[in-house]
Amino acid sequence: MPIDDIKPTRAGLLIVRRRMALAERVHELLSMKLDGMMLELIRLTDRAAEQRRELEDLYTGAREMAAVAAMMEGATGVLLAALSVEAVPTYAVGHKNVFGVRLPDLEPVAVKKTLDERGYGVLGTSSVIDDAADAYENLIEAIIASAELEGGVRQLLDEIERTRRRVNALEFKVIPELMEKRRFIEYQRDEMERQEWTRLRRIKKIKAKRAEKR
Amino acid sequence: MALRGMISPSYIYACTRFRVRRTKLLPRDAYRRIMQMGIPEIVTHLGRQEEYQEIMDLAGDFSGARLIEEAVNRNLARSFRGAMAIAPGSLHTLTGEYLARWDIANVMAILRGTVHHIPRQQIRDLLIPAGELDRALLDHLLSFTTCGEALDALQGWRLYPILAEHYRVCGEEGAFARIEDELYQRYYAGLLGLARSGCSGCQELIPYLRFEIDITNMKNLLRLHCAREACDITLVDQTMIPGGNMSIDLLRRLYGAGTEAEFTSIFLQTTIVPVLARAVRELRQDPNFSSTDAAELVWRRWHQHLRPVHEIEMAITRIRLQQMDALSRRYPFSVLPVLAYLERKRYEVANLRAIARGKAFGLPADRIWQYIVL
Repeated sequence: MPIDDIKPTRAGLLIVRRRMALAERVHELLSMKLDGMMLELIRLTDRAAEQRRELEDLYTGAREMAAVAAMMEGATGVLLAALSVEAVPTYAVGHKNVFGVRLPDLEPVAVKKTLDERGYGVLGTSSVIDDAADAYENLIEAIIASAELEGGVRQLLDEIERTRRRVNALEFKVIPELMEKRRFIEYQRDEMERQEWTRLRRIKKIKAKRAEKR
Repeated sequence: MALRGMISPSYIYACTRFRVRRTKLLPRDAYRRIMQMGIPEIVTHLGRQEEYQEIMDLAGDFSGARLIEEAVNRNLARSFRGAMAIAPGSLHTLTGEYLARWDIANVMAILRGTVHHIPRQQIRDLLIPAGELDRALLDHLLSFTTCGEALDALQGWRLYPILAEHYRVCGEEGAFARIEDELYQRYYAGLLGLARSGCSGCQELIPYLRFEIDITNMKNLLRLHCAREACDITLVDQTMIPGGNMSIDLLRRLYGAGTEAEFTSIFLQTTIVPVLARAVRELRQDPNFSSTDAAELVWRRWHQHLRPVHEIEMAITRIRLQQMDALSRRYPFSVLPVLAYLERKRYEVANLRAIARGKAFGLPADRIWQYIVL
């Protein structure tokens, strides 16, 4: 029932009081959720920033290893080793629940490989290819970890924004309106009570005068 | 075939031509000059040289470091095919056997490209027809759509028996790595077999080849050991090349060594140690670096599951080439000057490629210099 349709009656007052209690409870819970999500966001942001720094270091290292591999084996040798890859690295998508928010949980699949899983022959390549492959495998793992954290931060930010809007709506609109309505109903009921009391007194007086005349 | 002490005129003629060709390779000072240049200057510098005319032919299709790499690769292919053309008799056979490593790389690239459906042009760009299989045959192989068809077309190739053994598993996961390893094992066996056939200079070539096998085996043993998970001992057997001074059994014992004392006692018996010690002495300018220090160095990397240091690998390659040069001067009319030229040419191309790639990645000059073999 919209708040404007609530009648200034005892039943209406009870409805408003119930709604008010519910709104205050929800507000308290959402505020706690918001605080929790903020703490989680700070933790996740720190980890994401650290992961991003690590990713940048790994990227620099991987590029350097690719440079060394290209120097020693030639871009041709590096490409030939790259063409030998038989299992394409990928990731499995899962979810984890943090304060009711579904954060991505990415698991690398076929990223880190042993020497015999990489597909190239040991005798046709040299250790620079292994170093470059290791460096890029680590880089892909870091990219997946970074994507998981940054995706989580983004989801959390969206949820924080949504929750904040709800908390603000409760705090600055729903609860004040309900308070106002409750006050209005109480005034109305007081006024009606006073009117009733005055009416009864008036009737009583009229009755008393009539009795005196008789 | 020429017997020792009875050198045929064609041998003398060919060996002299190879010695002349060697003198045309880039000297140390040329590398120093090139190192001071940027990539456009290197392209201009090489383009002005008669030897590197490929760079002008390719300038319309490629640019930068890629242009240099493509040009030097084609130059390598042309030089090696030229070497095959002038080498007579057993020199020709041995040169062909030596150049089979490029054939292996080309064949494996084509087979992988065919199975993994990689665009043909991309594969074609990766081929270096420096071996027996010429560009026309490689293009013919590229036209096939299945692994079996490509294998059938390779029936005349000297390493075809290995491919025939794996005909059924071609394209299965892990099969190409096994085929590639077996091809290289057969390649070294073929080279050693020819060297044992008694050509001029072959007796001296055998220790060189054995040392190359030892050093390759040792590097690969370190690679296998430093893998994330300990590999099966059968993989050690599959990837080690037989025929070196270090037997496969010794390599297996080395792989299983658990303590420093055990490892170093086995490692000190190998022929690698003195060369490794010399390489580190030259690299670090440390005259006191002994064989024991070298064994300890290898143990430390072994124990920490680390791969060989690239700079030391390059230093060992330099020493190997010096040994080959010394042998080729000692036996001027044998297979050794031919192989010395082929090895020097191979590293000239590798050096130019290393400089171009290093400069393209913005590496400092002294870092690039560590990967140059002079």
